[in-house]
Formats: sequence, C-alpha cells, structure tokens
Amino acid sequence: MVGTRGVGTVAAIAALLVAAGGCAEKSGTTGTGNNTGPIRIGAVLDITGAGASLGVPERMTLEMLTSQVNEAGGVNGRKIELITEDNRSTEDGAAKAMNVMLSRNVDIVIGASRTGPSLAMRPLAESNNVPMISLAANAKIVEGAKWTFKTAQNDSAVLQNIVDHAKSKGWKKVGLLRDSSGFGEGVAETLNELGKPSGISVVATEKFAPDATEFTAQLINLRNARADMNLIWGIPPAAALAQKAYQQLGITTPVMQSHGIGNQVFLETAGTAGDGLVAPLGRLVVADQLPDSDPQKQVLTKFLVDYDRTYRARPSTFAGHAYDAFQLAVEAFKAAGTDRQKVRDHLERVKGFVGVTGVFTMTPDNHSGLGKDALVMVTVNAGSWQILPGR
Amino acid sequence: MADLLQLLLAGASVGAVYALTALGFVAVYTVSQVVNLAQGEFAALAGLVAISAVGGGLPLPAVVVLAVGTVVIVAAVMQRLTIAPVKRMTTLLSIILTLGVSTTLKAAMLLIWGAEGRGLTPFGGHDLTVAGVSVQAQQLWILGVTAVVAVAVGWFYERTLAGKALRACAEQPTAARLVGISIARASLLSFVIAGLLGAVAGVLASPIYFSAWDSGLALGLKGFVAATLGGLTSVRGAIAGGLVLGVLESLVAGYVDSGLRDAVAFVVLIAVLVIRPGGVLRQRAAAGI
Amino acid sequence: MTGARRGELPAFAALALLLAVFPLVAPDSVVNVGVYALTYGLAAIGLTLLMGLAGQVSLGQAAFFAVGGYGQALLVTRYEVPMVVAAGASVGLAMLVALLVGLPLLRLRGHYLALATLGLGIIVTVAATESSYLGATSGLYGVGKPAFGGRRYDSPAEYFWLLAPVVFVALLVARNVVAGRVGRALGAVNDSEVAAECLGVNTFRLRLQVFVLSAGYAGLAGVAYVHWIGVVNPNAANFPLSVEFLLMSVLGGLGSVWGAVVGAFAVELLDEGLRYGIPLVIPDAVGEVQLIGFGVVLTAVILFIPGGLHQIVKRMSRRPTPPTEDPTVPAEDDSPLLPRTGRPEPGTVLLEVRDLTRHFGGVTAVDGVSFDVAAGEILALIGPNGAGKTTCFNMISGVLAPSAGSVRLGGERIDGRKPHVFARHRATRTFQNLQIFRSATVRGNVAVGRHLRSRAGMLRGALVLPARGEERRLHERADDLLALVGLTAEADRPAADLPFGRQRLLEIARALAVEPDLLLLDEPMAGLSGGERRELVRLLRRLRAGGMAVVLVEHDVEAVLALADRVAVLDDGRLIALGKPDEVRTDPAVVTAYLGVDA
Repeated sequence: MVGTRGVGTVAAIAALLVAAGGCAEKSGTTGTGNNTGPIRIGAVLDITGAGASLGVPERMTLEMLTSQVNEAGGVNGRKIELITEDNRSTEDGAAKAMNVMLSRNVDIVIGASRTGPSLAMRPLAESNNVPMISLAANAKIVEGAKWTFKTAQNDSAVLQNIVDHAKSKGWKKVGLLRDSSGFGEGVAETLNELGKPSGISVVATEKFAPDATEFTAQLINLRNARADMNLIWGIPPAAALAQKAYQQLGITTPVMQSHGIGNQVFLETAGTAGDGLVAPLGRLVVADQLPDSDPQKQVLTKFLVDYDRTYRARPSTFAGHAYDAFQLAVEAFKAAGTDRQKVRDHLERVKGFVGVTGVFTMTPDNHSGLGKDALVMVTVNAGSWQILPGR
Repeated sequence: MADLLQLLLAGASVGAVYALTALGFVAVYTVSQVVNLAQGEFAALAGLVAISAVGGGLPLPAVVVLAVGTVVIVAAVMQRLTIAPVKRMTTLLSIILTLGVSTTLKAAMLLIWGAEGRGLTPFGGHDLTVAGVSVQAQQLWILGVTAVVAVAVGWFYERTLAGKALRACAEQPTAARLVGISIARASLLSFVIAGLLGAVAGVLASPIYFSAWDSGLALGLKGFVAATLGGLTSVRGAIAGGLVLGVLESLVAGYVDSGLRDAVAFVVLIAVLVIRPGGVLRQRAAAGI
Repeated sequence: MTGARRGELPAFAALALLLAVFPLVAPDSVVNVGVYALTYGLAAIGLTLLMGLAGQVSLGQAAFFAVGGYGQALLVTRYEVPMVVAAGASVGLAMLVALLVGLPLLRLRGHYLALATLGLGIIVTVAATESSYLGATSGLYGVGKPAFGGRRYDSPAEYFWLLAPVVFVALLVARNVVAGRVGRALGAVNDSEVAAECLGVNTFRLRLQVFVLSAGYAGLAGVAYVHWIGVVNPNAANFPLSVEFLLMSVLGGLGSVWGAVVGAFAVELLDEGLRYGIPLVIPDAVGEVQLIGFGVVLTAVILFIPGGLHQIVKRMSRRPTPPTEDPTVPAEDDSPLLPRTGRPEPGTVLLEVRDLTRHFGGVTAVDGVSFDVAAGEILALIGPNGAGKTTCFNMISGVLAPSAGSVRLGGERIDGRKPHVFARHRATRTFQNLQIFRSATVRGNVAVGRHLRSRAGMLRGALVLPARGEERRLHERADDLLALVGLTAEADRPAADLPFGRQRLLEIARALAVEPDLLLLDEPMAGLSGGERRELVRLLRRLRAGGMAVVLVEHDVEAVLALADRVAVLDDGRLIALGKPDEVRTDPAVVTAYLGVDA
C-alpha cells in the first residue's frame, strides 16, 4: 500500500516537472526577411496514400523546376532549396508535415494535393504568417484567407463552362451522378446557382463512392429522371466505369463529365464508351491542338517538352497545378525577396500571369485567380481527346 | 418493371460474388472457429494475378489455373505459418492474426501492383438485352459459375468422405480425433478450400468489379455479413445470405439512397445480431464443466 | 499485489520524467511524432482495457475517436462552448454512443462483436459523409489550438506538455481500474467466465462498463486530435486507424496499460520509418506502404511475444518464485465455521429442485429430478459416471438452462438465470474440471470470491483512495480463508503453479469467500491426499455446524456415506433413491445400479 501512496507523490512531482518544463519557453522561430542564403520552398504533398497519383507527379514537377532554376543561377542569385514532406494523404499527416515546414523556417509552402489535407494546413499557415499555395480544387481552401492561395480551378469555373454548354444546346434539366467524396460535394448547389439565370437546374442527384464499380441503381434512377443531359462528376477509374455502365444500359441522353477525367487512365478504362462525351478540361491535355494564338500555348509546350525530356512521360493536370504554384512563388521571390509579408502581398496582386492551368489574376477577395476561360470544352473521339469544334 | 429486374440482376451478380466469399468463411469457420479476415484479400490477389497473366499473353484457362493456384498456395502457407503454430486459439488471437495476414497481403499487393484498380478482360460472349433489361455476358458467367461451384461445394460436404470428415471436425472434434481425422490436416484443407473459393470469386468478379490492392476489405466484410446471415456454418445459408445481401444493397441504392449502399451490410449485420442476441449460431452447450 | 505496486513506482517516476523532458531533448520533428503518439496512445489505452481486461476485440475504436473529435469540433466552432466544457461533453458523447451500441452488441461473443464494431466504424464514416450538418466529406474545420491563461499551446513541444499530464492521469486511472475490484473480476472472467459468474461477477455489466470507459478514452483522444489538427472529417472513423490502435495495443502488450503508450510511440516511429525507408528500397512504391510493416509486426508479435513489449520487460525483470515449504497443518479445531447472522435457521429449506430435466439433442441427461436442501445439512449426490450429477449442478447454478422443471433458492425461482444471480442469492459452487483463475495468484483467486462482498465500482476503483481500505480488509479476509484450507504459505504464488489437489482446495476457499448459505461442491475429494481429505471432511462438518448447506457430488462413496446427512442417488438421469445414508446403502435399486458393482 505504501507503493500506491508513493505513486501519488511521484504523480505530483511529475506534474510539477511537466509544468516547469512547460515554462521553459522555447524561442519561437521568426525568420522573415532573411535576404541571404538559399530560398526555401516547402512542399507538402500527397505522396503516399489515396492521393499518391496526384502528389507523385507534383513532386516530380517541383524537383524538375527547382533544378532548372538553380542551373540558371537561381533567383536573384540565390539558389532554391526544395524541402518535400509527405502528408500520406491524411489530415494529420498534413498538419504534421506543416509543423516540420514551420520548424525548417521555409519561405513558402506549396500543397497539399487534395482538399482535406489543405484545409488542415491552412490554419497553421494563417496563424504563423507563412504564404501557402494549395494545389487542390475546393474553393473553401482560400475562402476568407489572408495567407493561402491556390492554383487548381474552382469547381464553379468548371461548372460555368458546363452551364454555358448546356445553354448553347438548349438543355434545361440536368441529371447529376457525382462522386460522394469531397470532389463531388457541393456540385449540385453550385450548378443550380450558376444555371438559374438560364433556367438550368439539377433534377436528380445520384452518388457513387470513389472506388465504386457498380452503377446500375444510380443510372436507372438517372434514366428515369429523363433529364435533357446527364453530368457524371468523378475521377477515373470510377468515372470511366460509370461511363461504360451508362452505355451498357443503353441510355441515350447526352452525357458530360468533369475536369476530373483528364488523363490516359480514363480513356483506357472507358474504351469506346467514352466517345461523344463532352467535358471542360485544362488545356494541357489538348495542348498540341491549340492554335498558336492561344496565350497559354507557349507555356504548355515548354512544360510538355521539359517534362518529357526529364521523365519520358506526359505530365498530368495535377503536375500543371504544381508547375503554376512554383512559378508563382518564384515570380514573387524575384519581385519581393523572401520577406513573407511582401511575398504574400505580391501574390495577391498577380495579374495576367500565364500558367499551365490558366491565366491567373488574384485579388484580395480572390486567392484562386482563375476564371472559366482556364478550361476548354473537349470531346472524346475514337479514344482520344479533341477540342470540341466550334468554340 | 424493367427497372426492378435490372436492379435484381445487378444485385444477384454482386451477391453471387459475396456468396462465394461467404462460402470461404464458412469453410474455415466450421473447422477451426476462425473468422479469416484475409478472405477478401484472396479474391483481390486472384484478380490481380489474373490481370498480370492476361497481360503476359496467357489464354484464359491458363490464367484461371495460375490465379487459383497462387491463391491456394498463399492460403496454405498462411495456415501453416500463422494458424497451425497456435496451440490454444482464442477469438482475440484469431482476429489479430488473420488481420495481420490480411494487412500484409494488402501491402504486398500494393508494392507489387501499385495503387490503381484495374479490371480483367471479360471472359467473352455478347452482352444482350432481354425485355428491356441489359445483361452483360460477364454477369452470366458470374451467376453460372457460382451456381456450379455452389452445387460442387454442397456435394463435397454432404457426399464425399473428406467433406464429411471436415464437418465432423466442426461438430464433434473429440469424436473426429477418435476416428483418426487430424484436426491439423482438416484445418489446412479448409484453408485450401477457402483459398480456392476466394480465388474463383476474385477472377469472376474482376472484369466488372475490378481488382485493387485494397478491394478485399469491403468484399471480405460483406462476405462475412453474408455468411453470418446464413448462420456461419451452413453452405446453403452462405449462398442465400450472399444473394440476399447483394439484392438488398442494389434495391436500397436504387430506391432509397445510393450513398447508403455500403452501410446496408452493417446495418443488416447489427440488426440481425441484435434481434437474435445469442448470435445467429445456436449456442454451444456448456458441456464438460 | 503490494509487491507489484511497489515495482510500478520507478516506472511511474521514469515515465513522468521522460514525458517532461522529452520535448526538451528530442528534435522538433520527433516531438511532433510524440504529440501523435500521445494522442493515439489515449485511444490505445482504452483498447488495451477492452481487450486485455474484458477480452473483447474491437475493430471500431476509431468510431469513438471520431465521435469525440466531431463532438468537440461542433461544440467549439459552431456553438462556441469553452474548450474544457466541450471536451467533457464530447467524451461523454463518445461514452453515451458506446453505451447505446454496447447494450445490444456486448451480448454477442467473440467474432460477432469484433465485426459488429467494425461495422460501427463504417456506419459512422457513412453517416458523417452523408450529413451536411457534420460538413459531409470536408468535415468540420477551423478548430483553434487550445489557449489557457493567455498561453497558446501551438508548437509541438507546447502541445506535448499540455497532453502529457492528461495521458499520465489517464494512465493512472486505467491502471487503478486494472488493479482494483473491477479489473480483478474481469481478469477472472478471461480465465474462466463460468467460475467468475458463479462467484457473483456480472460479466455483461462489467464488460459494458469497460467498453464505455474504453470509448471515453477514444473520445478524449479525438478531442486532443481535433485541437491539434484543426480539422476532423469522416476519415477519422476509418478502419485503418482502428487497425493502428489495435497494433499499438498489441505491440505494447495487452496486459499492460503502460504498453499502450509505449506501443503508440513504437507504431508512430515505425510508421515514419517505413514510409521513409520503403521507397528507398523499392523506388516506385507509392501508397500506404507502411502497412506491410504493420501486418508483419502484428502477426509476429502475436505469434512470438503474445504479451508484447510489456512481456519482454517483465521477463527481464522477473525473479524466480521461491519454492514453498511444507504446508502448515491447521490446528485441530471443531468449532462451527462461518456462521452468518440473517442466515436461515438450520432445517429451513433453502434449495427446492422440481422435475429438473435436460435434453441434449435426443439424449435426456437429467430426467425429472426433484429434491430439497435445508440449511445446516450436507446432501450428497452420487451415481455412476454419466448419471447426470454435474448436469444437475450446472442447471442449479445457472450455467445451463433446464429444458423443463424449476429451481428455487430461498423461495425465488432462479432457473435459466445467469450464474451471477445464483451467487447473488448467496449460493456458489466449485467445478469438477477445475476452473482456477490461472493468471492470478492464490490470494487473487480468493479475492475474486469477495466480489459481491466488496463495493468499489468502476469510478471509485479508478480514483483509488476511497477503495483502499476496502482492499486491505478484503486481503485480510482472503488470508483467513486460505488458512482454513492450509494454503497460507502459498498465498503469493501463481495459482496455476499449485498441484492439482491444492487447486481443488483453493477453489473451495474461493467459494467460501462468497460467504454462501448454499455451497455446491463437484467432486471436492478428487486428487486430494489422505490427510487433505480428512481435513476437508472436518472443514465441511464445521461449515455445517455454522449453518451452511452443502451439496456435494463425490465418487468416494464411503467417505460420502460417512459425511452426508442425506444421499441422493442418480442413475441414467433419474433420481432412484433419496434418504439417510443407511437407508440408501440398503436400497435394492441402488445396490443393483451402483453400489452392487462397488461393494
């Protein structure tokens, strides 16, 4: 029994010790405005886990660009040091990685690849006054943000294109089959809002899990909704399997898809079932079909060539988001040095910056900077992407 | 009406895959009271091996033999390495062990085949439309092969000596030992059968439902629910359980909300277990105390 | 017990010191890992309690983690509830959910519970995903870092210092539960549920309590998580996280709440290491590659070191138990034993058995047996092997439900009720196939017998102080009982080390600890030496003199006839004779069926 009382004493001592330890304040890191030494770019990406297919090409892009800049002599004579951390596609991993970045005293943070991890990083960026450029799509990431920016198109830009296309065809009733994860969230609401002026509305919403393979039930309901057009909103392979099932059930209503399908996996999985669908995509997938007059043509071609030379592969849309984030950061460093406040202020004033994803114009209210013209309407013809004629 | 039929067909097709998985659970559980949480991984592994074999240019029969053979070996090795050495198997041990194997298999598949899901080329035949219901050839393959396997498994347990011996192990372990049936060999055989059934399920399902390193989890869980619905020791119960679950999922997704599809199995599981608190199994008599 | 606690003292001190200095000496990135280890460690402590103590596997610990996290995020961001109040409410919410799902689920055994909890995790995930109130897939975000007295805990070191005392107290509470009355009872349940029930342990109730407590730990972990990350989304209830908690518990050692925290650190570091290391070996490896290590470690630990890291430490520090000297022979004493005020007068009927029948499949093991037992008498139940004696005992004590007939104890029907109800009516039993609590000491076994005679519940046990006096009295009482059966010298030995005959005596001492009015003994003489038998007979006579009713099943017919007041003879499930030893000895039916062969 003496033992138990002893434990109580030890607990008290421990509590004191812990309290004492807590008072031994560690000196915080400030590190703004240091204008010598290498520029540190931190990248928190979904390298392992569910977002790996996004994060891996993004990392490759950042590595390629870092060595390009450094070989050319750096930014204002300063080399770039790229510090990459894996967030494992999880929120806690992202927060953990962000803490590493803060302790490494980086000048800017790029990432994360997807919405959830980006939302977990944002408060850390905001409260520590570190500029952050997310590569994820959801508009919530930059809503009301001071230090956070992003390079992927907002859903609303994509949906505006879809609404315009529907309007031009005279379609009013839209059937929606969407991904049940974050990617598909809020699509119906946004579409209704954007479509209101033209009388376009969602008449049926069905959902599927990101790893779904069985779509019969949803598609039957969609068929019965008798919409003028159906919109499938998801990423491959599920989006491609849904497209296949759509054809198998013999549904003849015109079908559109989202910008989530812009890669080779979709074309391979969907096969001939994809023919005829229309989707707003970034210019990257159809770069070679763009007229020379297109403002992005030059940037796109250079990116494709560089990437192919370095990795013998075609970059994905996501790689493009990383490309833009890196170039935006470099341009800010060139103009403003590495004072975090100045970098942030510069980013907020970016105007007409030509990137892979689109032409960026940021404002204090708009930390995304892309409009609907960041996308082009693309169709699938005999298993390959084609710019929709007549636009 | 055509809609209902279409939903029933989709449900039955998924349900057949659940049924085969459930049979795998039953095969192992009857002999050693182990719920093999790696059962779903058997199916995923078979599908991925088959896809690679097709990629390597093998003809379909050879692909099937290779996939099934690989999984049967994996199942046997699993039994020898993890189940056989344990002298006193408790529920806790069996769950942790099979969960460990399942996790290892998953990670191994991830390292070998990567994260992306893919589908096997369909077995062949033409899709058709009957009375407004579109029928995929692969769905017919799934239903047909499942029917054949179900009959074969039933025949095995009821008519053959080996099958009867396995059942004897389950019902009367001491008596089984007395008449010279080795529990260790019976357990090994049961894992081989489970591997075989899992592999057949995996290869059949892959063209429509795809195979990925992590697709075994959901399949395994639903197979277990199906087996539980059928009583966990009954061949017919497992098949019926699988089909019922598949159809129920399809109907819920069609008529209630497609977002709830994946919760159906577990709501059913918990409901069944709560309504029959002793478990669906008859309680064993506390004999020998 | 005391010895074990004294051994814990340095462990507590070391842990406290370690937690206090860790953030000072470790590099920032490791402190960061440490914050997660502490957070997840909380949930793992809960799981260790559930698995190690209640013997139940949960594959849905993350569900309660998520409930705690969501509750906190909701209260803090949407309703602006102060953090500490919100934390209490969120933990309470997790426990409430556990209570609601535990009520039906904990009646399930083994695999069903594991799979049902797994299903719960999936249902929570789906529910959170489908609910726009909970922010659907994006979840809830914008939860701030905690701030107390103008101080914000926003660096890893700060947060570690904030969490460390919480984890420390959580550990203390968990350890007190394990070492106290509830823990002892549940430990006994793991060794032999039927024996524990017969000593009055309400297994279901205790399991439910531990399940709810375990969920509370997970909920607290969820609260700590959401304040550190700032976001909670449906992934928090995911199966992989439940597996990670399970791995932490298993790796640390299921018998030890300390192990859970150590396991949490080990798993977090393993996780980091694998994610870093595997891509070096396999360059294009992407995805959750660390799982391979998790799977292999999980399997290997269970196969090779089932006690986890805790077992390794224990093995290194274990000293051999000294062999016991010759058992002390109790003094020759024939005075009445264990009388009890309020016990029915000798001669009052205590137990009424009427038409008791049990079928097993097509076989009728017991067929319409009726008899009474009065206070202060010894009734012997004899008969050839397979006559149905033990089955009778099982039905009377609630281990087995009768197919027909009734059992009344003190006038109240108890047939078909659980054994702990039997014990609650001041009746208990021993077992033909010994049901010793193998993982407890000899004294610990008897202490379980005092379960109904002590009161410390989960809460009082957890806070230790008020329960301590009770524990001391309990130990004194246990030692008295051990002296009665001559086991004093062996009180601190592991019960499993005792020879067979002395384990029987221990079971009897354990049963006496219940202070029963009715004692059922199933072959108490088997395996005893001549001297021990004589002592046992003397003991039973003294108990009778004290007013206790004893029913015994015994093969040693001569001993029984000399001891018993009445004898009931069973043959082939039927009662063929009941009367005084002399009458039975000469009963022709008995002679043919049974004694004829023997005599």
